[in-house]
Amino acid sequence: MPSATNPGDVIVRARGVTKSFGGFAALRGLDLEVRAGDCVGLLGPNGAGKSTFIGCLFGVVLRTGGELGIFGHDPAVNPRAIKRRLGVVPQENALDEGLTVEENMRVYARFVGLEKNAAEARLSELLAHMSLEHKRKDPIKTLSGGMKRRLTFVRALLSDPELLILDEPTTGLDPAVRHQLWDKVHAFRQAGRTVLLTTHYMHEAEVLCDRIVIMDKGAVVGSGPPRGLIERETPGFVGIFPGDASDRLRPLLEARPDWNAFAQGRNTCVRAPSLDDLMALQHQSGVTALQLRPANLEDVYLKLTGRGMEDDE
Amino acid sequence: MNETLDSLRLAWPVALRNWTVFRKDFLANISPTLADPALMMTALGMGLSPYIGQIGGMSYAHYLAPGMIATTSLFTAFFECSYGFYVRMSFENIFKAMLTTPIGVAEIVLGEFIWLFIRASLMAGCVGLVLAGMGMVANPWVLPLFPLLGGLLALPCGAIGLIASAQVANINQFQTVYSFLIAPIFYLSGVFFPLGDRPVLDAITQISPFHHGVRLLQMAAWGTWNPGEILYHVAALLAFTGGLGYIAYRRIRLKLIS
Repeated sequence: MPSATNPGDVIVRARGVTKSFGGFAALRGLDLEVRAGDCVGLLGPNGAGKSTFIGCLFGVVLRTGGELGIFGHDPAVNPRAIKRRLGVVPQENALDEGLTVEENMRVYARFVGLEKNAAEARLSELLAHMSLEHKRKDPIKTLSGGMKRRLTFVRALLSDPELLILDEPTTGLDPAVRHQLWDKVHAFRQAGRTVLLTTHYMHEAEVLCDRIVIMDKGAVVGSGPPRGLIERETPGFVGIFPGDASDRLRPLLEARPDWNAFAQGRNTCVRAPSLDDLMALQHQSGVTALQLRPANLEDVYLKLTGRGMEDDE
Repeated sequence: MNETLDSLRLAWPVALRNWTVFRKDFLANISPTLADPALMMTALGMGLSPYIGQIGGMSYAHYLAPGMIATTSLFTAFFECSYGFYVRMSFENIFKAMLTTPIGVAEIVLGEFIWLFIRASLMAGCVGLVLAGMGMVANPWVLPLFPLLGGLLALPCGAIGLIASAQVANINQFQTVYSFLIAPIFYLSGVFFPLGDRPVLDAITQISPFHHGVRLLQMAAWGTWNPGEILYHVAALLAFTGGLGYIAYRRIRLKLIS
């Protein structure tokens, strides 16, 4: 019998996890902990190793080195003990396109070992929960992108998992569906369950996660609660100025070496300790900022992944 | 032992998943498998019989008939495990979703074999009934043997398809596997002409799992039993299933686990 987890128990423990594909090092000594009841968000550029790490958690990617334990089991040795306790929303839905919604979910309920009656009850509950009840008899291929994604959530939740893994859960979805899915993640967490997700959306990470882990080139480059991370890495306020004003800004910025200025696309971003500093800069340069805002997770992300001044490689 | 039971329990829903998809297009799925042997029996069996003398004391149609069951089994196995499996693996990503559940690669492969046995048995049974209807089966009591032997024969042939699925770089390459492996097996394993007086060909056919199934089905349909030969061919089929099945598992594992 799986041992029940208590709030605060370490569910995922990674120590120096490495993974090489041929000569390419996808993970270079990754350290990470996820505790029961947490929602942890993995951020990082494409190719940072997020999905590779997710794959390591349930044994479809075998790590090259380091220690990894999920619910106290090594996924390379005993993936089944782990997989009985987690639900996964993969990057691609991988739904059975030829089947109807309910056929698809019944097939999947058998995979996770649900009894027929329990499966039917659970399915009805989750379809209603995800507003898909009216699509029950429809073939998967007639569903919209948002519906397919919601159904993939239903599939991941069928077994009532303790840990939910979401690999880019809302990529390509419209804002309404995105908010709906966020609500579901919140509801899942209310029951004391644990979530590990990857995302490219900073706002999503801020809304959902109590802890952010920023990855780059296969390792963790920063982690902490969203607010704490911003306070620590990029405190203050950011002004975004039009690119053609850089000549007028440069002399003023050179006098303030403690500020942070960098090009972003055609614009110039300036991060200063306070909003008043930026107002003063506007006044002195005669340039009106396109936007003034508190520093956010995107600033942290760009700073830590070194993508602020160069294009995504 | 517990592990093995667990594996079997988890492999069964993999087979059921394929059945769920298969039965949605039931008629379209079984028609060609039944039509092909019926056509071949009409064209080659009925058509050629009058021009060909007796083979081992029977008409050419009678000679050809059991090979039709074996052929159905071979093609069901090869196409299900090559194109069918490949599409499930590479285009539909079915296994990506399965592997997030307690199911592992061993259960996926085992489930595919269970499904293949069921599907090939069904097909072989149906073809057997058609042949019996044409008066090609010596003794109706052997009819239940056709699904059993058809299912058994499908296993090593399916393993070849699975290995091909793991090896090909794209779906078009199955055509090459068909032309250079499956077609020769099909034409040269004793379905169309008796073996026994061409030493080289006879030796080569012994390493074709298909040949052993053909012989078993011929013995059943013609009522020419020989216990030693039965044992030999059944043992060969089981050995090929075990060996090729294991290679298939290793190859598929490399595709699904990185």
